[in-house]
Amino acid sequence: MEVNYEWDVSVDGDEPRRVAEQFESICLEHGVPMGVVFKFQLALDELLTNVVSYAFEPHTHDPVIKVMLHLTDNRITAVIRDNGRAFNPLLDAADPDLDLSAEERSIGGLGIHLTKAFVDELEYERRDGWNHLSLVQPTKAHLEENA
Amino acid sequence: MNVETSFSGTTAVATVSGRVDSANAKDFDQELRSVIDKGVSGLVVDCSGLKYMSSAGLRVLLIAIRKTSAAGGGLALCRVPDHIREVLEVSGFVRLTKVFDTLEQAQASFSN
Repeated sequence: MEVNYEWDVSVDGDEPRRVAEQFESICLEHGVPMGVVFKFQLALDELLTNVVSYAFEPHTHDPVIKVMLHLTDNRITAVIRDNGRAFNPLLDAADPDLDLSAEERSIGGLGIHLTKAFVDELEYERRDGWNHLSLVQPTKAHLEENA
Repeated sequence: MNVETSFSGTTAVATVSGRVDSANAKDFDQELRSVIDKGVSGLVVDCSGLKYMSSAGLRVLLIAIRKTSAAGGGLALCRVPDHIREVLEVSGFVRLTKVFDTLEQAQASFSN
Protein backbone atom coordinates (compact mmCIF):
# COMPACT_ATOMS: atom_id res chain seq x y z
CA MET A 1 0.00 0.00 0.00
CA GLU A 2 1.24 3.44 -0.88
CA VAL A 3 -0.89 6.55 -0.64
CA ASN A 4 0.20 10.10 -1.36
CA TYR A 5 -1.94 13.12 -0.66
CA GLU A 6 -1.32 16.84 -0.62
CA TRP A 7 -3.29 19.74 0.79
CA ASP A 8 -3.04 23.42 -0.04
CA VAL A 9 -3.99 25.14 3.18
CA SER A 10 -5.19 28.75 3.51
CA VAL A 11 -4.46 30.99 6.47
CA ASP A 12 -7.82 30.28 8.08
CA GLY A 13 -8.69 28.92 11.51
CA ASP A 14 -11.04 26.29 10.05
CA GLU A 15 -8.37 24.73 7.85
CA PRO A 16 -6.63 22.48 10.41
CA ARG A 17 -9.94 20.69 10.99
CA ARG A 18 -10.48 20.11 7.27
CA VAL A 19 -7.02 18.57 6.91
CA ALA A 20 -7.28 16.56 10.15
CA GLU A 21 -10.67 15.08 9.25
CA GLN A 22 -9.61 14.18 5.71
CA PHE A 23 -6.40 12.69 7.10
CA GLU A 24 -8.50 10.55 9.44
CA SER A 25 -10.75 9.32 6.60
CA ILE A 26 -7.80 8.43 4.37
CA CYS A 27 -6.01 6.51 7.13
CA LEU A 28 -9.09 4.60 8.29
CA GLU A 29 -9.92 3.75 4.68
CA HIS A 30 -6.48 2.16 4.41
CA GLY A 31 -6.69 0.19 7.63
CA VAL A 32 -4.49 2.26 9.93
CA PRO A 33 -5.55 1.52 13.54
CA MET A 34 -7.76 4.22 15.10
CA GLY A 35 -5.42 4.71 18.07
CA VAL A 36 -2.52 5.56 15.75
CA VAL A 37 -4.72 7.76 13.58
CA PHE A 38 -6.01 9.73 16.57
CA LYS A 39 -2.57 10.60 17.94
CA PHE A 40 -1.12 11.54 14.59
CA GLN A 41 -4.21 13.56 13.72
CA LEU A 42 -3.91 15.48 16.97
CA ALA A 43 -0.25 16.30 16.27
CA LEU A 44 -1.06 17.40 12.73
CA ASP A 45 -3.93 19.54 14.00
CA GLU A 46 -1.81 21.17 16.73
CA LEU A 47 1.13 21.99 14.43
CA LEU A 48 -1.07 23.24 11.62
CA THR A 49 -3.11 25.34 14.05
CA ASN A 50 0.15 27.00 15.14
CA VAL A 51 1.12 27.76 11.54
CA VAL A 52 -2.30 29.13 10.62
CA SER A 53 -2.45 31.23 13.81
CA TYR A 54 1.10 32.59 14.14
CA ALA A 55 3.29 32.07 11.05
CA PHE A 56 1.96 35.01 9.08
CA GLU A 57 1.38 38.68 9.83
CA PRO A 58 -2.06 39.89 8.75
CA HIS A 59 -2.18 40.68 5.02
CA THR A 60 1.04 38.79 4.23
CA HIS A 61 1.68 38.71 0.51
CA ASP A 62 1.30 35.19 -0.93
CA PRO A 63 1.24 33.04 2.20
CA VAL A 64 1.68 29.37 1.27
CA ILE A 65 1.04 26.36 3.52
CA LYS A 66 1.26 22.85 2.16
CA VAL A 67 0.77 19.50 3.87
CA MET A 68 2.11 16.34 2.27
CA LEU A 69 1.00 12.89 3.43
CA HIS A 70 2.76 9.65 2.57
CA LEU A 71 1.15 6.48 3.85
CA THR A 72 2.66 3.00 3.57
CA ASP A 73 1.97 -0.30 5.33
CA ASN A 74 4.67 0.52 7.85
CA ARG A 75 4.44 4.19 8.56
CA ILE A 76 2.69 7.53 8.30
CA THR A 77 4.80 10.46 7.15
CA ALA A 78 3.55 14.03 6.95
CA VAL A 79 5.42 17.20 6.07
CA ILE A 80 4.05 20.66 6.80
CA ARG A 81 5.72 23.42 4.79
CA ASP A 82 5.07 27.14 5.03
CA ASN A 83 6.76 30.33 3.89
CA GLY A 84 5.91 32.23 7.09
CA ARG A 85 8.31 33.51 9.73
CA ALA A 86 11.00 31.11 10.95
CA PHE A 87 9.70 29.18 13.93
CA ASN A 88 10.82 25.84 15.30
CA PRO A 89 7.98 24.65 17.55
CA LEU A 90 10.14 21.76 18.77
CA LEU A 91 12.64 24.16 20.36
CA ASP A 92 11.06 27.61 20.49
CA ALA A 93 7.90 26.61 22.38
CA ALA A 94 8.29 26.47 26.16
CA ASP A 95 7.51 23.13 27.82
CA PRO A 96 4.53 23.43 30.16
CA ASP A 97 5.12 22.70 33.85
CA LEU A 98 2.65 19.89 34.52
CA ASP A 99 3.17 20.02 38.28
CA LEU A 100 1.59 23.45 38.68
CA SER A 101 -1.93 23.93 40.00
CA ALA A 102 -4.85 24.95 37.77
CA GLU A 103 -4.40 28.56 38.89
CA GLU A 104 -0.68 28.58 38.08
CA ARG A 105 -0.76 26.57 34.86
CA SER A 106 -0.01 28.46 31.69
CA ILE A 107 -2.76 28.38 29.10
CA GLY A 108 -0.33 27.62 26.25
CA GLY A 109 2.32 25.07 25.31
CA LEU A 110 0.12 21.99 25.64
CA GLY A 111 -0.28 21.42 21.91
CA ILE A 112 3.43 20.97 21.29
CA HIS A 113 3.76 18.89 24.45
CA LEU A 114 1.06 16.49 23.18
CA THR A 115 2.63 16.45 19.71
CA LYS A 116 6.01 15.42 21.12
CA ALA A 117 4.38 12.72 23.24
CA PHE A 118 2.24 11.31 20.42
CA VAL A 119 4.60 11.21 17.42
CA ASP A 120 7.86 9.25 17.43
CA GLU A 121 9.94 11.29 15.00
CA LEU A 122 9.65 15.04 14.63
CA GLU A 123 12.08 17.19 12.68
CA TYR A 124 12.23 20.86 11.88
CA GLU A 125 14.29 22.57 9.23
CA ARG A 126 14.40 26.13 7.93
CA ARG A 127 15.44 26.12 4.27
CA ASP A 128 15.31 28.84 1.60
CA GLY A 129 12.75 30.88 3.52
CA TRP A 130 10.50 27.90 4.28
CA ASN A 131 9.69 26.06 7.50
CA HIS A 132 9.68 22.28 7.03
CA LEU A 133 8.17 20.17 9.80
CA SER A 134 8.18 16.43 9.32
CA LEU A 135 6.28 13.88 11.39
CA VAL A 136 6.95 10.15 11.12
CA GLN A 137 5.04 7.43 12.96
CA PRO A 138 5.42 3.66 12.57
CA THR A 139 1.96 2.06 12.41
CA LYS A 140 0.73 -0.97 14.33
CA ALA A 141 0.92 -3.20 11.26
CA HIS A 142 4.65 -2.54 11.24
CA LEU A 143 5.00 -3.45 14.91
CA GLU A 144 3.06 -6.69 14.44
CA GLU A 145 5.16 -7.58 11.42
CA ASN A 146 8.29 -7.41 13.55
CA ALA A 147 6.77 -9.15 16.56
CA MET B 1 -19.71 19.64 18.73
CA ASN B 2 -22.84 19.70 20.83
CA VAL B 3 -23.30 20.45 24.53
CA GLU B 4 -26.43 19.49 26.46
CA THR B 5 -26.87 20.66 30.01
CA SER B 6 -28.99 19.65 32.96
CA PHE B 7 -29.10 21.32 36.34
CA SER B 8 -29.65 19.98 39.85
CA GLY B 9 -29.25 22.65 42.52
CA THR B 10 -25.74 24.11 42.27
CA THR B 11 -24.51 21.10 40.29
CA ALA B 12 -24.78 20.82 36.53
CA VAL B 13 -23.98 18.11 34.01
CA ALA B 14 -22.71 19.23 30.61
CA THR B 15 -22.70 16.39 28.11
CA VAL B 16 -20.31 17.21 25.29
CA SER B 17 -20.27 15.24 22.08
CA GLY B 18 -18.45 15.37 18.77
CA ARG B 19 -15.24 17.21 18.09
CA VAL B 20 -13.60 20.00 20.11
CA ASP B 21 -10.67 21.69 18.37
CA SER B 22 -9.28 25.17 17.77
CA ALA B 23 -12.07 25.92 15.29
CA ASN B 24 -14.87 25.58 17.87
CA ALA B 25 -13.15 25.83 21.28
CA LYS B 26 -14.68 29.32 21.64
CA ASP B 27 -18.18 27.83 21.43
CA PHE B 28 -17.30 25.15 23.99
CA ASP B 29 -15.91 27.88 26.25
CA GLN B 30 -19.10 29.95 25.95
CA GLU B 31 -21.29 26.93 26.71
CA LEU B 32 -19.38 26.10 29.91
CA ARG B 33 -19.17 29.76 31.00
CA SER B 34 -22.91 30.22 30.57
CA VAL B 35 -23.52 27.13 32.73
CA ILE B 36 -21.12 28.28 35.48
CA ASP B 37 -22.54 31.82 35.38
CA LYS B 38 -25.96 30.41 36.33
CA GLY B 39 -24.61 29.87 39.85
CA VAL B 40 -23.16 26.41 39.33
CA SER B 41 -20.19 25.49 41.51
CA GLY B 42 -20.00 21.75 40.76
CA LEU B 43 -19.75 21.03 37.06
CA VAL B 44 -19.68 17.51 35.67
CA VAL B 45 -18.52 17.23 32.06
CA ASP B 46 -19.79 13.96 30.61
CA CYS B 47 -17.39 13.06 27.78
CA SER B 48 -19.06 9.83 26.65
CA GLY B 49 -19.90 11.24 23.22
CA LEU B 50 -16.62 13.08 22.74
CA LYS B 51 -14.84 11.93 19.58
CA TYR B 52 -11.87 14.27 19.53
CA MET B 53 -10.32 16.97 21.70
CA SER B 54 -7.14 18.93 21.04
CA SER B 55 -5.24 21.28 23.38
CA ALA B 56 -7.77 24.00 22.51
CA GLY B 57 -10.37 21.96 24.42
CA LEU B 58 -7.98 21.46 27.34
CA ARG B 59 -7.61 25.23 27.64
CA VAL B 60 -11.41 25.54 27.92
CA LEU B 61 -11.46 22.88 30.65
CA LEU B 62 -8.65 24.67 32.50
CA ILE B 63 -10.66 27.91 32.54
CA ALA B 64 -13.73 26.00 33.78
CA ILE B 65 -11.67 24.33 36.53
CA ARG B 66 -10.49 27.75 37.71
CA LYS B 67 -13.96 29.30 37.62
CA THR B 68 -15.69 26.44 39.46
CA SER B 69 -12.90 26.27 42.07
CA ALA B 70 -13.21 30.01 42.65
CA ALA B 71 -16.96 29.45 43.19
CA GLY B 72 -16.16 26.95 45.96
CA GLY B 73 -16.82 23.82 43.92
CA GLY B 74 -14.91 22.19 41.13
CA LEU B 75 -15.04 20.31 37.87
CA ALA B 76 -15.28 16.57 37.38
CA LEU B 77 -15.03 14.59 34.17
CA CYS B 78 -16.73 11.28 33.56
CA ARG B 79 -17.09 8.56 30.94
CA VAL B 80 -14.00 9.72 29.08
CA PRO B 81 -13.12 7.58 26.02
CA ASP B 82 -9.70 5.91 26.34
CA HIS B 83 -7.95 7.93 23.63
CA ILE B 84 -9.06 11.21 25.18
CA ARG B 85 -8.15 9.98 28.63
CA GLU B 86 -4.62 9.60 27.32
CA VAL B 87 -4.65 13.26 26.26
CA LEU B 88 -5.67 14.16 29.84
CA GLU B 89 -2.89 12.01 31.28
CA VAL B 90 -0.12 13.26 28.99
CA SER B 91 -1.12 16.88 29.60
CA GLY B 92 -1.21 16.41 33.38
CA PHE B 93 -4.94 17.19 33.57
CA VAL B 94 -5.65 14.09 35.65
CA ARG B 95 -3.89 16.00 38.43
CA LEU B 96 -6.07 19.08 37.98
CA THR B 97 -9.47 17.44 37.89
CA LYS B 98 -11.10 14.19 38.97
CA VAL B 99 -12.00 11.67 36.29
CA PHE B 100 -14.80 9.22 37.09
CA ASP B 101 -15.93 6.10 35.27
CA THR B 102 -19.63 6.77 35.75
CA LEU B 103 -21.87 9.85 35.75
CA GLU B 104 -23.31 8.84 39.14
CA GLN B 105 -19.84 8.81 40.75
CA ALA B 106 -19.05 12.23 39.30
CA GLN B 107 -22.36 13.69 40.55
CA ALA B 108 -21.89 12.09 43.97
CA SER B 109 -18.51 13.84 44.32
CA PHE B 110 -20.41 17.14 44.64
CA SER B 111 -23.27 15.95 46.81
CA ASN B 112 -21.63 16.46 50.22
